[in-house]
Amino acid sequence: MPVINVTVNGTRYEENVSERLLLVDFLRDQLALTGTHVGCTYEGVCGACTIHLDGEAVKSCLMLAVQADGHTLTTIEGLGGDKLSPLQQAFTDNHSLHCGFCTPGILMNMSEFLRDNPDPSDDEIRRGLVGNLCRCTGYVHIVRAVREAARVMREQG
Amino acid sequence: MFPARIQEYLRPRSVAEALAAITRYDAGDAIFLAGGQSAMQAIKSRMLRPQCVVDLQGIAELKGVSVSNGALTIGAMTRYVEIAGHGQLDGAFAALRDATSHVGDRQVRNRGTIGGSVCWNYVAACTPTVVLALAGAMNLAAADGSQRSVAADDFFLGPLETARRDDEILLSVSWPAPPPRTGSAYKKWGLVTDALPVIGVAVTVTLDAAGQCSAARIALAGLADGAQRGKLGEAKLVGSRGETAAIDAAMGAIADAADAHSDMSADADYRKQLIRSLGREVATRAFDRARG
Repeated sequence: MPVINVTVNGTRYEENVSERLLLVDFLRDQLALTGTHVGCTYEGVCGACTIHLDGEAVKSCLMLAVQADGHTLTTIEGLGGDKLSPLQQAFTDNHSLHCGFCTPGILMNMSEFLRDNPDPSDDEIRRGLVGNLCRCTGYVHIVRAVREAARVMREQG
Repeated sequence: MFPARIQEYLRPRSVAEALAAITRYDAGDAIFLAGGQSAMQAIKSRMLRPQCVVDLQGIAELKGVSVSNGALTIGAMTRYVEIAGHGQLDGAFAALRDATSHVGDRQVRNRGTIGGSVCWNYVAACTPTVVLALAGAMNLAAADGSQRSVAADDFFLGPLETARRDDEILLSVSWPAPPPRTGSAYKKWGLVTDALPVIGVAVTVTLDAAGQCSAARIALAGLADGAQRGKLGEAKLVGSRGETAAIDAAMGAIADAADAHSDMSADADYRKQLIRSLGREVATRAFDRARG
């Protein structure tokens, strides 16, 4: 069984994994980082399993765990640190989650999106959210939160 | 959705290593994995049951966009996000940006590659259609050291079929410097934003010094036979100046003759109407870009 070395949320792990283990299952079942969710039946359509691979938003159900060998990952558990990130705070303030199942994936996608788009329009935000399904909110409050987070982050510099 | 047993995972550092790895297995038992945004679905659903996965992510020579004296080479492992954001892909190559900036979603564009898409050749996909309209060349290398270049017209053989042999690796997709006054465009319509195309239309035109169209290629996505040329329409664009009447005649000829199918996404008549309406918009944009 291959051994992989990965850095997840700043912690280095050396782990044995089966070749066919999916990255999302590695994170959830082997590292017990269960904030990364599986919202569809692993078809890659819901975006709830979105994480950062070397800083970029990717769906962790569309990768094998062995593919992450040597890479740096961030999951929702590593997004805020001791306190909520501006994006997480904006989601709380704007009632941007109901059941919350899709929220980790949306936060991971939008946190990278805001890095490249510090002042996005609502249309840009909505297009950026295409890969993440939310069945509760209708997205209106999500868009509002992303816009507010962008403003806060710009003001904080 | 969970992969069948995989015996071996390899991450070669060079094309030579990748070819050596793939030939250790019987044809089809080892597969190249590019961005994995389609292949991993097939592996999880067990449509593909590879004994060995040869992951191409570590091969630097397969990555990057290079423009040299107008000629364009895109490495097979270049991701959509890198093509969509490339500053030099305008005019003749603008359709590549039109397509790659709307493939799937942000997460897919961060992983998916041009090489993976053309080698997978899904029945309704944007990249093969654009590469076909732009007459790209697929540059392949084999384990015996030989290389060959296959024109798009000969490469795309039908849904999930290409001229690439199992023991060949796609190095790049390339184009010579285009003639002056060449422009291209692509647009699709899908059920939701940036979804797979129900219909997609790609057009490239070259104008002479007087603004008259001297060469045209049209390709369609979304028909049952996969990416295909719209030659009936090409003939009607040549000699025109991109007038709406000429474009409508060209797209109408393609739509009338198209072997369009009906399914849960759209019925055949609607697909034909999409060819006409998207075709007018895309061809008009291609002419505008050719004029500069």
